[in-house]
Amino acid sequence: MVESKKIRQFFFPSLTPKFLIRVTLVALFAYVFFGHVCLPLRIRGYSMEPTYRNGGFNLCWRVRYIFSEPKRSDVVAVRFAGKSVMLLKRVVAVEGERVEFRDGKLFVDGDKVDEPYVRYPCDWNLPPRQVEKGHVYVVGDNRRMPIESHRFGQTSIQRIVGVPVW
Amino acid sequence: MVKIKTILAGVLVLIIAVLAVLYFSGSEEKKVRKQFHLLSEWVSKDPDEKVFTMAHKVQSIGTLFAEACEFKAPIVSLSGSYTPEEISSYAAQGRAYFSKLSLRFYDLEIDFPEEGVAKAILTAKLTGTSKAGEHVDEIQEFECALQKIEDRWLFRSFKVVEVLKR
Repeated sequence: MVESKKIRQFFFPSLTPKFLIRVTLVALFAYVFFGHVCLPLRIRGYSMEPTYRNGGFNLCWRVRYIFSEPKRSDVVAVRFAGKSVMLLKRVVAVEGERVEFRDGKLFVDGDKVDEPYVRYPCDWNLPPRQVEKGHVYVVGDNRRMPIESHRFGQTSIQRIVGVPVW
Repeated sequence: MVKIKTILAGVLVLIIAVLAVLYFSGSEEKKVRKQFHLLSEWVSKDPDEKVFTMAHKVQSIGTLFAEACEFKAPIVSLSGSYTPEEISSYAAQGRAYFSKLSLRFYDLEIDFPEEGVAKAILTAKLTGTSKAGEHVDEIQEFECALQKIEDRWLFRSFKVVEVLKR
């Protein structure tokens, strides 16, 4: 009898002021946390496979770069359009560095970069270019497609929203 | 006593002035938003669209643009200055390619840097199905300028915001 009362109380709580205050606080916290600190992400596209798969779910930790800047091999969320459309890419070079691709291999400042996260074959060629001040160079991990079909390049650090939590 | 009255009158005039500015700028913003809404409505197409509706929409699209509308995109061949008639013509050709088309604008931020000029940053989402069955789902951020001509806000320029620069 007491058990069933507890169960009923759990699913149909009394609308006391305390309860309403608790619900309001939880809702407010959820709005602030998931709206501005830790954004839910649904991954669409194949450019970061196999690291992040199409259709996957993640959270974007927005406070990561408050006191620091993105560095090489960081996976970042780049604001692409509006408030909710982002690109998930990996930083391969930071400002001042020279980036190039030779037969699918990444070179930064003339040195070949070891990229264990690139699992699929790649045959890209891209002449050297310098990363501008206040920018980072981002590329996806899936470089199987022709270079023209892949969205990559240098982007302003201001556009980096955060990092995926896992 | 006179001083207090003067100060109160001054404060009242200031409050009225602030409210007036808010009201009129708010209504100008509504007018600008309406232009985007009309552009979205007239570009979009249903599969069962009648010929007269199509003709009306295509003709109406041109009326939203100023005499010379600048279009800037990373693809050089699309960049240039177009008259309203040219825009209507290209719109007709573009719409004819699709059986179903939807253009929506999101995250519209409007600013009025000077009298008779509006600047907007927005996200445009274009989805549709071509007559050959190909699906289109493109999203892009734009910077847009409008000019007030004879009490109507007309599009003056559209610039594709380049997020990733190779």
